[in-house]
Amino acid sequence: MTVQPRALSFRNLRMVYYPVVSQRRIILFRILGIGLALILIGIFLAIIGHSPLKLSAAVIKAAVGSSYGIQQALILATPIILTGIGVSVCMRMGVWNVGAEGQLYLGAFFATIVGLNLKTPTLPGLLLMFLAGAIGGMLWALIPALLKAYADVNEIIPTLLLNFVAVLLVRQVVVGSMRDMSLGELFASHKITYQLPKLFGAYLHVGILIAVVVAILVWLLLKYSLWGYEVRIIGGNRRAAEFAGMNVFSQIFSVFLISGAIAGVAGMIEVAGTAHRLSAAISPGYGYLGLIAAVLASNSPIGIIIVGILYATLLNAGIVLQTQGLSTHFVLVITGSILLFATVSEMVAHYRIISTVEEAEPCETLPEEAVESVISTTLQASAERITEDEAMGEKVHG
Amino acid sequence: MVEIIVGAIALAIDAGAVILIAAFGELLGERSGIFNMGLEGTMAMGAVAAFITVTNVPNPYVGLAAAILTGVIFGSIMGFSVVALKANQVISGLALGFVGTGLARHIGAPYAGMLLTARFVKLNISGLSDLPVVGRIFFNHDPVVYFTYLILPVAISFLLYHTRHGINLRACGENPAAADSTGVPIQRIRFLYACVGGAFAAAAGAYLVLAFAPTWAEGVTGGRGWIAVALVIFSQWRPNILVLGSLLFGITTSLGFVGQIQGWGAYSNILAMFPYISTIILLAIPGFLVRTGRRKAGTFPAGLGVPFFRENSG
Repeated sequence: MTVQPRALSFRNLRMVYYPVVSQRRIILFRILGIGLALILIGIFLAIIGHSPLKLSAAVIKAAVGSSYGIQQALILATPIILTGIGVSVCMRMGVWNVGAEGQLYLGAFFATIVGLNLKTPTLPGLLLMFLAGAIGGMLWALIPALLKAYADVNEIIPTLLLNFVAVLLVRQVVVGSMRDMSLGELFASHKITYQLPKLFGAYLHVGILIAVVVAILVWLLLKYSLWGYEVRIIGGNRRAAEFAGMNVFSQIFSVFLISGAIAGVAGMIEVAGTAHRLSAAISPGYGYLGLIAAVLASNSPIGIIIVGILYATLLNAGIVLQTQGLSTHFVLVITGSILLFATVSEMVAHYRIISTVEEAEPCETLPEEAVESVISTTLQASAERITEDEAMGEKVHG
Repeated sequence: MVEIIVGAIALAIDAGAVILIAAFGELLGERSGIFNMGLEGTMAMGAVAAFITVTNVPNPYVGLAAAILTGVIFGSIMGFSVVALKANQVISGLALGFVGTGLARHIGAPYAGMLLTARFVKLNISGLSDLPVVGRIFFNHDPVVYFTYLILPVAISFLLYHTRHGINLRACGENPAAADSTGVPIQRIRFLYACVGGAFAAAAGAYLVLAFAPTWAEGVTGGRGWIAVALVIFSQWRPNILVLGSLLFGITTSLGFVGQIQGWGAYSNILAMFPYISTIILLAIPGFLVRTGRRKAGTFPAGLGVPFFRENSG
């Protein structure tokens, strides 16, 4: 009888799920997943007839090859970081705010109303616009908070649908009462005279500094304040927090309002620093990119800043991609794939392949095959015993 | 005036059908425990697949088939991610939604503004279609509308409530551990309904371009996928209420068109908000009824969005 080599046999290998794995392993798998996503996108690009190498060279050159590229990337990163931080406040409490996009639009809208109607010196004007932006975002975030608190509506759908409403609202005012007729075919508001001061270079304004300061403030609040403690506990285990006497009801409002205010500030920075006019095209989906950044960074503020800058580079590259014959929407495909692969690979990190024939790694649950082999040997043993008994009986009685 | 109202109701029925097809797929998926947030992307992919197919092969049914195939592919990616690997359903769904929307816009860009020549034709039922008011409202639609309103609800209700498979399906969504202990193949059923959900969503997208709005425009789905998800929650996971919700949505959509006929074009953006705002209000109704004590809480499938681990079920 020939002995089959069993170690290489596929059927003896088994994927076992480990509920707890090290953070390092998760991060490693996440990076591998993102790499795999990029490779697959490269293959896809090659299939539809673009050279991925040439494209990525163009992207890198545009992004870091010039001062203009770096400035542009940091300007684009500002709203992504801010909305990401906003979303992460909600996510810390286990609440999904998919509506950062709409809150950004409302912030921009409110800031524009203030900016167009004030006649004060620059600094107070900017401060009032800042406040107006925050209030606009808050008001928009108040709607899903009210629905969640008073009618038990899951926040995902209302926050998302309100994005469409916000864009339509802004489109309505820029084709209607706010329209600057001198622009002709373009629908946008009049130019806002208040402008955020420049940081360095000809384009980069202080918006990125505001974003970093907000990120630090949120981090400090979450880590060291009573409010942050309650938010984190409710996010970890809502029922335990309720039993401990925490007011979950009011915290639903607090996280939504803070989240909305931060997204609204992002909108204010867009109109006061970058676009200088309100239009329906003020955001190419910053709110969604912020959400992705928050998820990929596991709500860590530093992570959000890093992912935000990376995404801004990618978005900036989208403009390059356009000159290479790819639409800007392709950025959405890339970001979406990265998110999917990062999520999936995080789960893959929880699995290990173990062999059930060689000495298996100790784990909480016995692999099915091992159980089966134990059962079969037991059965065999008892069957042998029975035949032995029968043989014995025959001997005795015979 | 009568003419406008009749036209609006007929349009409401068509607009509702788009949502209803996608929502039925989502309903089946959610009943089995899969919360697919990527409906919008799958719908866009279905629309673009149907559009491109029909521009090359002028037959709407071939386009529908191509869309369904695309939907199954997207559904199986979703299924692989959340059923086989048990990844987070919300993130996976959102990510697939982004990929689908972006890819559809990218692929569809060269077709922008093109008009489809082959589309679903309105049935002309002799005698009935020519009736003055009733004929315009009820007997002047394409076959897909009749299939969606008359056959699908009955078929899905029958499947869910009167077959063994339906019981297994609902058990997967309610209590997967208990279902597993009686030998129901949880993972297989959930994977199947992730694909079915994708197929329905893509079919809805196909119907959108093959009958409702036969030109290709960027963002042709316009959030209808999200509205479908919302309506499933509004219906409290019951097929008959889903039909009602879709009709209500259809009416709010047609209000926008009525407004444009009436010359309120300056406020077209405000009119376009109606479907979203009314969906949000609809969404609040069940919870509000529960809170005021007019209805019992909870037809929410208890296992919805929770990955099933046999190891954890004890």
